[in-house]
Amino acid sequence: MPFDATDIVLSIVKIGIVLFMMLNITPIMAWVERRGSALIQDRPGPNRVGPFGLLQAIADAAKFILKEDIIPAQAHKWLYTLAPAFGILPALTTIAVVPWGRPFLLHERTVFGRTIFQGGRWFEPIVADVNVGILVVFALASLSVYGLATAGWASSNKYSMFGGIRASAQMISYELALTLAAVSALLAAGSLRLSDVVWRQTGYFVLFGGLKIPAWNVFSPAMWLSFIIFTVAGFAETNRLPFDFAEADAELVAGYHTEYSSMKFALFFMGEYMAMGTMSALITTLFLGGWDIPWWNEPPTFWGFLASAIFFLIKVAFMMFVFVWVRWTIPRLKYDILMKLGWKFFLPLAIVNILLVAAFIAKGWI
Amino acid sequence: MIEFVIFFFFAAVAVIFALVVILHRNAVVGALSLVASFFALAVMYVLLDAPFLAALQVIVYAGAIMVLFLFVIMLLNLGHRREDPTHPVQQFLGFTGAAAFAIAMIYYLAKYAAFRMLPAGPFLSDARSIGVALFESYIFPFEMVSILLLAAIVGALLMSGRAMGQRANIGAEVNR
Repeated sequence: MPFDATDIVLSIVKIGIVLFMMLNITPIMAWVERRGSALIQDRPGPNRVGPFGLLQAIADAAKFILKEDIIPAQAHKWLYTLAPAFGILPALTTIAVVPWGRPFLLHERTVFGRTIFQGGRWFEPIVADVNVGILVVFALASLSVYGLATAGWASSNKYSMFGGIRASAQMISYELALTLAAVSALLAAGSLRLSDVVWRQTGYFVLFGGLKIPAWNVFSPAMWLSFIIFTVAGFAETNRLPFDFAEADAELVAGYHTEYSSMKFALFFMGEYMAMGTMSALITTLFLGGWDIPWWNEPPTFWGFLASAIFFLIKVAFMMFVFVWVRWTIPRLKYDILMKLGWKFFLPLAIVNILLVAAFIAKGWI
Repeated sequence: MIEFVIFFFFAAVAVIFALVVILHRNAVVGALSLVASFFALAVMYVLLDAPFLAALQVIVYAGAIMVLFLFVIMLLNLGHRREDPTHPVQQFLGFTGAAAFAIAMIYYLAKYAAFRMLPAGPFLSDARSIGVALFESYIFPFEMVSILLLAAIVGALLMSGRAMGQRANIGAEVNR
């Protein structure tokens, strides 16, 4: 595929935007989580640093940087240091294949005497529009388990070890249900490319001869089960309550990151919120119509792109709030119940669900 | 040009980490190095215009099989114990076997594989063409493999089930 300097600059711009968003998820979500939990538990929450405690995240960041970075004497030093990097890499890179706005046409224009975008050029708001998009997501997501497992093992601490082992067992178990639930959305789109999945959802279902409902997968009865399985498995995959056994405070101190302090701990912290953001973006893309704005045909211009990108962000933000909401509403399950639920309930359900969705598609009901 | 640089970089990464797998004494480091080596191999598939195979390589080998390996190593909790030196006969057999395999490999590559041009034209390896090939041309071997895997699963279940039964008996005796 031939490419020129304009492509490279556009790619750098896209990567910059996505990276900026991903890195800012953590401070924003840390604030939302604290204030959200306070709201749910009927207490004020952090409200001293800045208006509504908004600057609390900056105070936290300063604290993380200034704390002493301790490496336990018993730890395997190399792996102990590398583990946070293993943890954050998949979280940062997965988002690259998710489309985050309507593609728009860049018109030819002259800047500093040079003509750029000759003959017009499409701006695809996605870092890498590969034809195996969803497989890249699962490939990178399946690597995130190494961060937790390595951290648990390298700490030479039994609580960390248990946390790491539980995390790997849990992620292996729920990955299956997660992947199988995503298959239904891919079947409907007939493609593994995530932008195709979104394009398929931009139309309408017409009910009773006149009522137009956006053709988002979540509004089609065949996909309800897939949506629920994918969301629940997504909670397990990101180690969030009610499935946060990797760091169950009551039993394991802090699980796999018990021994970590300072910025090494902050990397795990950031990785968790980024994984949550990626999972929300995936749920949005697969089931909530991606960047589609209902009842509006987005024009292929900059403003159409901006509106759709903002709408995508709103949907992702809503899903992330659901993550927080559930965390402070539902108590933690027992570990054996979690494993039983994964293997004996969600996995068979996901397999039956694929047959169901395939039957719906064969009948042309989607 | 850029492809050449990427190829040699990741080829070096794959070989170096493969060496770490067999030379490092720590099993966990070995397993993680194998993951890195698999990842570098996946980059080779991308360079060969086969992103589907690359994704599958990472999902199946790096993401599933090696996680289970690491899981077992961590559960066994192998210490940093030094292994006993091997018997000279073992060493001799090992080295000659490896050398013979290397010579055969180089001979084969030099005679049949190297310097042969790849077929011109598009190399199709997307999900659709692989799926069609699997379920039309290769349906019989495909189903055979699934039966083989089923047999392995049943075998594993039987063995773990028997072990669990024995443990239950031991528990009953202790209680008495």
